Amino acid sequence: MVKKKRTKVIGLGNPILGDDGVGWRVADEIEHTLLEKGYPFQCQTIQIEKASLGGLSLMELMIDVDQAIIIDAIETHQFPIGTVRKLMLEDIPDLNSGHTASTHDTSLANAIEVGKLMGAHLPESIFIISIEAENLFEFSEELSPRVEQAIPLACQYVWQTLIELEKKP
Amino acid sequence: MERISIDPITRLEGHGKIDIFLDDEGNVANSYFQIPELRGFERFCVGRQVEEIPILTNRICGVCPEAHHMAGAKAVDAVYHVDPPRTAKMLRELLYSAFFVADHTTHFYALAGPDFVMGPDAPVAERNILGVIHKVGLEIGGKVIQARKFGHLVIEMIGGRKVHPCTSIPGGLTKGITEEQRQEIEQMGRWAVEFGQFSLKLFEDIVLKNSTYLDLILGDIYTHRTHYIGLVDENNKVNFYDGKVSVVDPEGNRLGKYAPNEYTEWIAEHVEPWTYLKFPYLKKVGWKGFVDGKESGVYIATPLSRLNAADGMATPRAQEEYEKFYKTLGGKPVHQRLATHWARLIELLYAAERWVELATDPEITSDNFRTIPTEKPTEGVGIVEAPRGTLTHHYWTDERGIATQVNLIVGTTNNYAALQMSTNKAARALIKGGKVNEGILNMVEMAFRAYDPCFGCATHSLPGQMPLEITIRDKSGNPIHVLNQNL
Repeated sequence: MVKKKRTKVIGLGNPILGDDGVGWRVADEIEHTLLEKGYPFQCQTIQIEKASLGGLSLMELMIDVDQAIIIDAIETHQFPIGTVRKLMLEDIPDLNSGHTASTHDTSLANAIEVGKLMGAHLPESIFIISIEAENLFEFSEELSPRVEQAIPLACQYVWQTLIELEKKP
Repeated sequence: MERISIDPITRLEGHGKIDIFLDDEGNVANSYFQIPELRGFERFCVGRQVEEIPILTNRICGVCPEAHHMAGAKAVDAVYHVDPPRTAKMLRELLYSAFFVADHTTHFYALAGPDFVMGPDAPVAERNILGVIHKVGLEIGGKVIQARKFGHLVIEMIGGRKVHPCTSIPGGLTKGITEEQRQEIEQMGRWAVEFGQFSLKLFEDIVLKNSTYLDLILGDIYTHRTHYIGLVDENNKVNFYDGKVSVVDPEGNRLGKYAPNEYTEWIAEHVEPWTYLKFPYLKKVGWKGFVDGKESGVYIATPLSRLNAADGMATPRAQEEYEKFYKTLGGKPVHQRLATHWARLIELLYAAERWVELATDPEITSDNFRTIPTEKPTEGVGIVEAPRGTLTHHYWTDERGIATQVNLIVGTTNNYAALQMSTNKAARALIKGGKVNEGILNMVEMAFRAYDPCFGCATHSLPGQMPLEITIRDKSGNPIHVLNQNL
């Protein structure tokens, strides 16, 4: 029997910091759909996590995972609010500031390299579904309207990525 | 007038910004440390059940949720006028000690270490944890990961989940630990003690035995003579979870100790026009500006200040290191800010020893882990030491326990005045005649990295979105530059 690939879907962000909570909301939606409609995948197991982490801690969350999808708010000021994009980790500038790349330690890219040096099994590919956000600095459980409206599209991106991973040999 | 901007500050949580202003000769006229802040946390809490707040404060920022959980838990105990049983206090402190080991490890190896292991002027691409691993050896990376893993496992066992503990409730905890868990925790703690000793040895070999680094630490660039505060136990030894806050002056004389509910008698806040964040200072000494000395109310709350404010460490190995620290650096108090990195490692060893002490206490597995509150809730203050400094949570409620007001003074905020002074002093000393390069800028950053600042949660009490015009003035008070910001 072929070993199933382990996929982790991570909703990243702070659920009480305005638009930064969008990653959690998308992860919740994916989880609800899986529970309601059943599990459509044969070649992978899917684990859903929600986290407010970065750097070394986020890397540690991906140990023994084969592929990961991270959903997070992003602030580039280059796209309209609510724009959903699919990126690879390599596409994100390796800054130590900003939500995906940030914690009080080191950047995620650095952390992954540290993990690999330590012999940890880490995902061969890390996809980022980013949602352009506007309010990342004021505490609130509400998303701003355009970010809220982006949730279905972000979910669709996650499903598409999962389907692509399913088909991947 | 030329402006140099370091933005974003590398290797620092949050979105800090430093503007350094040069005069016509290219020397530093002044510098400003500013932080676009997270807003409205206090307003967010009002109207909620107060026991929910220790769980919510977890999420103020991703860096030290455990510290906010503990300060919040203690504030809620005080709101309900309930004293948790000994086992509950020990379990909380045990979780907290494991957290300190993990957090101090991360700071030293990922943030501060690279400056010393790789050198302050090493290329930025190498000045990170990967550089440290490549230079010192793979084994070190494994130890760092292990220390963090063990810390997180203990947090999960006692706190109910990883990173964001949720088991502290008014009067104690929702659960205790089993004998099997205790044994596992003890074993991990013994490993952490060895790791703490290993880290101090590494610091000695790499930093203290290198005369250039020792000169850098002892030099004037990174020195400020300020007041120091830190939580101490009844024997005036450093404690992270409980006790009174000891306050000492720049000569090392203790001005007094305050209990959590007395903090407003000791701490006041100064407002500057160029930043939203307020500058806490010692009320009894008074605000005299961004200056050193006995007459200036500027204080710090960091690992260095905790050691200065205490009479020693409560565990034997850490006490030995404490004595060596002051002997090497010329007596108490130590004012050299770069010595904070050494102080942090002494605290790491203390936290590990305390972890073992608590894990081997016969009462730690007792099922007496909660006292049910019976009093009507009113108002309460909780103070713990966060890795970055004294953390104060103050909650007010109505008779149903619904929060009506919340005030927080977080670790880094305590140090804001000193951070501004340290950055300014380093910039003035290092930037001359307009000559600036990456190495010099990193050495300016080292001035504040010693404080391990984290502004993710340092900013909490402000009204909503507000445009701000900041005017920066020369020494005579004339406006020389105007910044328009939408913060």
